Amino acid sequence: MYAVSRLGAVAAAAIMVAGSAAAQETVVWWDFLSGGDGVRMKQLIEQFNAEHEGQIAIDATTLEWGTPFYSKVQTSAAVGEAPDLMTYHASRIPLAVQQGILQEITAADWEAMGLSQSDYDAATWDAVTVDGKQYAVPFDTHPIVLYYNKDILGQAGLLTEDGLPKGMESGEAFTATLQALKDAGVQFPMGSVTADGNFMFRTIYSLMGQQDGELMTDGEFLAGDNGEKLQNALAVLAGWTEDGLQSTYTDYPATVALFTSGEAAMMINGVWEVPTMADLQAAGNLFEWGAVELPVIFDHPSTYADSHAFAIPANQGVEMTPEKRAAVEEVIGWMARNSLAWASAGHIPAYNPVTASDEYKAMEPNATYSPLTANMIFDPKTPLAGVAGPIFDVMSTYFVPTLNGEMDPAEAVEAIRDELNDM
Amino acid sequence: MLRHSTKETLIALALVMPFIAIYGLVFIYPTIKMFLLSFTDAPLIGPGTYVGIENYTRLPGDRRFGTAFWNTAYFVALSVVPGTFAALGIALGVERLRGRLQAFVLALFFLPYILPVSVVYLIWDWTLNFQFGIAMHLFDAVGIDRVPVFKSTAWFMPAVAVVTIWWTSGFSVLLFLSGLRAIPPEIYEAAALDNASRWTTFRRMTWPLLLPVTALVLTIQLILQLKIFDQVYLFSTGGRPNDNLVMVYYIFQRAFQSDQGGRAAAIAVVLFAMVVVVSVLNFQLVRLSRGRAG
Repeated sequence: MYAVSRLGAVAAAAIMVAGSAAAQETVVWWDFLSGGDGVRMKQLIEQFNAEHEGQIAIDATTLEWGTPFYSKVQTSAAVGEAPDLMTYHASRIPLAVQQGILQEITAADWEAMGLSQSDYDAATWDAVTVDGKQYAVPFDTHPIVLYYNKDILGQAGLLTEDGLPKGMESGEAFTATLQALKDAGVQFPMGSVTADGNFMFRTIYSLMGQQDGELMTDGEFLAGDNGEKLQNALAVLAGWTEDGLQSTYTDYPATVALFTSGEAAMMINGVWEVPTMADLQAAGNLFEWGAVELPVIFDHPSTYADSHAFAIPANQGVEMTPEKRAAVEEVIGWMARNSLAWASAGHIPAYNPVTASDEYKAMEPNATYSPLTANMIFDPKTPLAGVAGPIFDVMSTYFVPTLNGEMDPAEAVEAIRDELNDM
Repeated sequence: MLRHSTKETLIALALVMPFIAIYGLVFIYPTIKMFLLSFTDAPLIGPGTYVGIENYTRLPGDRRFGTAFWNTAYFVALSVVPGTFAALGIALGVERLRGRLQAFVLALFFLPYILPVSVVYLIWDWTLNFQFGIAMHLFDAVGIDRVPVFKSTAWFMPAVAVVTIWWTSGFSVLLFLSGLRAIPPEIYEAAALDNASRWTTFRRMTWPLLLPVTALVLTIQLILQLKIFDQVYLFSTGGRPNDNLVMVYYIFQRAFQSDQGGRAAAIAVVLFAMVVVVSVLNFQLVRLSRGRAG
């Protein structure tokens, strides 16, 4: 009885499909975008499905960000149950290639997608490349930026004529700006995610980049004077804590809350918080705000960035049909060409023809911080790196006590170097 | 007669076979595989090559393993015995109440036990968060300095132990209550006639008669707390994970973050051995003390 009704249902479904299209390809899609950017991604997917009615349908699922997502991808690829297409952090690609869970994006793929190396910045292209082969298609770069409260800074006389914060040119000048805010009675001149070392890795790595520091040189961690550069970076942030210029033991949501409630005048955070600010302001619940490239604390501008990219899993024992592959290529190419909508989520589209367009150049605050793409640095290329990876945990363990005045920066660097080389 | 017993054996076998088959498939077989895996350099998924006992010999020099080992021992010390006695105290108190009030108070103590760990985490984060926690505003009002409870190594394990006792003691309370109710009231009447003090009654009667239940609660708690993971993982993400490592957390790190199935299996075998040794010791101790009490 069950079998009969099931057969009937299958037949009915088959007729319905045949009625709408002869051969519609379904692209199974996994992503980890559950925040404000996830909402915008769903709109993009709906638009894609509407434009490709009867030909290609994206069947999207959003999974838990971080280790849960990446564990699931790994286990499902091993048994041939991975999706056809998924989002991936560029920083996780070296590990994924070692695990053998990504398919190479071949020259034929690039051609079919209508994309090529010349459409991307060198650093972004390099971030998805391992041993000269590409394993993902960059969709965006998402650096960190400095958010600031224009109302508070304006009242304290700390805005330039262009409406940017004063003191962006050097460490002393920026600290002076923070001190001036403190003197003006601001409780937290800087809202800082000091309870979450994972997050602070982005800021600290940027400050290392400003001194041309490297985390990993020829397989060795913090070689040569790189330890000293890390110590310099930590010392600046620890100094802000000592002088009462930043919030202590503050986790991620609390930091955003301190800034949006006006208790913190500035905040270093990812561009993905742009939708939060934009939505709050649209509802009339936020002050005038801006977002700008990080201040130059050391020698030259440098900002840590990661990239959301599209990757095709290497499903064990399952061969992708040419039709399916063509559909996946169409999805990736279409997403790149339509990534202007993604910019409203704060991210910087990786596809240069979009960022070169007039519409993009008119978008705020994106246009203010976009020049930083020339100064982006990505994670070191090692299977130990990447969001929610082992390096993150080591860093976090020592950043938290250092940034909150419990540990000396020199001591932290020593411990970090030992632990990293232990792995 | 002989034929009859053969038939009974067959029926018995047929009845236990489904269990044995499933037990073998989902427990015995994976356990054997885990032992074999610990002698290889396998990643999380797929086979590896044989490396002998290398995964074990590197453990004594492994700093993170040391942290995980001592933190686990520390956590067990903080949670097992205090948790058992807290539950005993609550059970003794609840037993003195009557009727609906008793049911109500028992429900209050049991409620946290039914919560999933993620909810437990959120409740305590709302309470103890450094910037926005309710408790911190109380501290401000009283004039005490705020304490970053889950971000400092000194406070982390004690705080997680308190949360764990709060969360899991409800079940132990139930076990103690059923033990208390199994004690015949006549002997308390006899003790009252002999003018025994409340403390003497407890020490000479309640405590010895409850000993089997106490042993059971201790054993359950011991095995449970050796395997602690969820609370530590949730409370330390983003904080100081490598300072707060416990055994299962370290297994998780090796297997799922570093993709080293072989090394993770070796740590799992060590934890397995710890649980076996501690359980056997606990059992023997309880048997000895019972022998003396009897």
